[in-house]
Amino acid sequence: MLTASEYSNHSRQNQPVTGPAELNLPRVLWILSSTLEKLVSRNEKLVDELNQELDKLNNGSVRLGKSLNLFHGVRAPGISIPKYLERIYKYTNCSPSCFVVGYVYIDMLTHKHPDSLVLSLNVHRLLVTSVMVASKMLDDEHYNNAVYARVGGVSNAELNKLELELLFLLDFKVMVCPRVFESYCLHLEKEMLVNGTGLKIERILSPKSFETEISVEDQQSSSPPPIVDYGLT
Amino acid sequence: MAAAGQLNVIDSPSRGSRSVDCFEKLEQIGEGTYGQVYMAKEIETGEIVALKKIRMDNEREGFPITAIREIKILKKLHHENVIKLKEIVTSPGPEKDDQGRPDGNKYKGGIYMVFDYMDHDLTGLADRPGMRFTVPQIKCYMRQLLTGLHYCHVNQVLHRDIKGSNLLIDNEGNLKLADFGLARSFSNEHNANLTNRVITLWYRPPELLLGTTRYGPAVDMWSVGCIFAELLHGKPIFPGKDEPEQLNKIFELCGAPDEVNWPGVQKTPWYNQFKPTRPMKRRLREVFRHFDRHALELLEKMLTLDPAQRISAKDALDAEYFWTDPLPCDPKSLPKYESSHEFQTKKKRQQQRQNEENAKRLKMQHPQQHTRLPPIQQGGHHAQMRQGPSHPSHGSQPAVAAGPSHHYGKPRPSGGPGRYPPGGNPSGGYNHPNRGGQGGGAGYGSGTYPPQGRGAPYGSGAMPAGPGGGPRGGGGSGYGVGGPNYPQGGPPHGGSAAGRGSNMMGGNRNQQYGWQQ
Repeated sequence: MLTASEYSNHSRQNQPVTGPAELNLPRVLWILSSTLEKLVSRNEKLVDELNQELDKLNNGSVRLGKSLNLFHGVRAPGISIPKYLERIYKYTNCSPSCFVVGYVYIDMLTHKHPDSLVLSLNVHRLLVTSVMVASKMLDDEHYNNAVYARVGGVSNAELNKLELELLFLLDFKVMVCPRVFESYCLHLEKEMLVNGTGLKIERILSPKSFETEISVEDQQSSSPPPIVDYGLT
Repeated sequence: MAAAGQLNVIDSPSRGSRSVDCFEKLEQIGEGTYGQVYMAKEIETGEIVALKKIRMDNEREGFPITAIREIKILKKLHHENVIKLKEIVTSPGPEKDDQGRPDGNKYKGGIYMVFDYMDHDLTGLADRPGMRFTVPQIKCYMRQLLTGLHYCHVNQVLHRDIKGSNLLIDNEGNLKLADFGLARSFSNEHNANLTNRVITLWYRPPELLLGTTRYGPAVDMWSVGCIFAELLHGKPIFPGKDEPEQLNKIFELCGAPDEVNWPGVQKTPWYNQFKPTRPMKRRLREVFRHFDRHALELLEKMLTLDPAQRISAKDALDAEYFWTDPLPCDPKSLPKYESSHEFQTKKKRQQQRQNEENAKRLKMQHPQQHTRLPPIQQGGHHAQMRQGPSHPSHGSQPAVAAGPSHHYGKPRPSGGPGRYPPGGNPSGGYNHPNRGGQGGGAGYGSGTYPPQGRGAPYGSGAMPAGPGGGPRGGGGSGYGVGGPNYPQGGPPHGGSAAGRGSNMMGGNRNQQYGWQQ
């Protein structure tokens, strides 16, 4: 069973992820990926059904999730959610709890703005923005927006805009207290159980090499490979 | 249907915040760590507010973390002694760049925090020529400071930059903590590592100077002690120019730390580096022996080296000092000091420039400038008036109208806050809170304080150094004006006076002191 304290390891180097020794990625990445993938496919289905209904009424298609407009891409990026999260984790060196808190932000967003739907068109931008803001809040040492932009495959200017948008949509309530944090951890775990994929966590992953991490001192030269191929830009 | 405030065209933020155009900027009143501060009028209501612009010129960094922290903390805190963040407004800014693309700098400087307008800050007020606070006045400010801080601490917020210029005062006598840009939440369970590069040097506690990264509310209480002593003494008590000197000044007054008075001090990261080379006795009582007995008693507890033994805000509020005559006065009974906001920006800038030049010229001839005065002692029983340009200590103190005291009343020299001259002591306008040169090297060696007056200014650019460690510009802080907007009456944690009777605000009892009117 995953505990909150596992998530809240802020310095992962000296606190290796628990579980089988070959696992170097925190389990939260996988739990979160699976949860989000489920959410996205459910929402996509919803949109499809709605559009079909509307088609019958000769009404054209709807654009749902208006409050998240800024996060919408033109087309869905080619990179999967798990890969994208892995990429963020790998290159930004943020603490695992940033992913939980990032998820809290996304969840708060959808509750605060019922008009928002997490879809394949916006989930990547939502993720990179919310994890970045979470890291700003949680990690005393964190990369700047420029690095996150590079990692996330968006421009610096756009990410800044998205950051601001997220902060305003959340009304700057970006503080997550331990109690809420814990309850989201439990929620995520439950998602896994319901899904029947609890075991899957233990089977995945190739060992992650820490050498690929970029160093704080030399952000420019060791920046992550461009992500343009994934079509996020 | 989109919710209210979300009906925006594509590509425009759906944030439902008002535009800065709802306000008419009147003049710039300060320069903060991350942006300018303006006095402004809300067009619809005519209400005067302070607009703090969030500087966003560093694209790589995005929205400043200090601003996020300040906003999220201020949104959580609601207390009459904490500055109130009224709202956040945006300005569209340059919409598109030349190519018609959404400009990357679209949001550059386009975000403003709206605060209630406050007329003064404590440093600016205290630095007015001829200003001297009365004892009930000092008690009144101190109690408000402690009440606000207690509220923060109860809500698990460390301010981490308590100093005079961050204590804003309105003409109703209300004091509010402002500038939460360095503040952060702490949790009792998670003994997190926090940075020790906080708090303006002169107000920084010994544990931070010794490198501690696990600390708590006691750091703020040390700063409060420094301010308290400053109010009573008439000038800053630890004007160190760098960290080693700062520690030394502290040790000279408070004695050297050892395992007896501060168990564990030898384990602090930089103890060996900074440990005193000679034995030093605590001389606080001796140096400040002219202070009122209860004041000294409280000060002793605030300026306790060991943070674990330092008095908490709550206990300080229960100190005899606040419950013995003369009692703290009612804020509303305080004299109203003229603030300078009627002046037009241009006129004032011009005037200020002139003043600065005059002052510079003056300074070259006479290094002695006006000096802060110790408080007026009531009733004369602990009189021992101090030297220096003295003021007849009548029981009455008319509202001083001699020139603007507004600490933010003038744009700061860009080199840094006026209080900490970046070198060569510029900008020493007569009403400018430039006290950077005070007390330099005076120390406590002689047993008594030197006569009041400016010590020789630091010769060189004696700017307390260190990234984030040096004094920050106190100027651009939060603001807020008179209580009417506040949920008076019932701050959740205002009840530090529990058990001490109902005379919290002095009430009628103060009338007998008749120090005003």
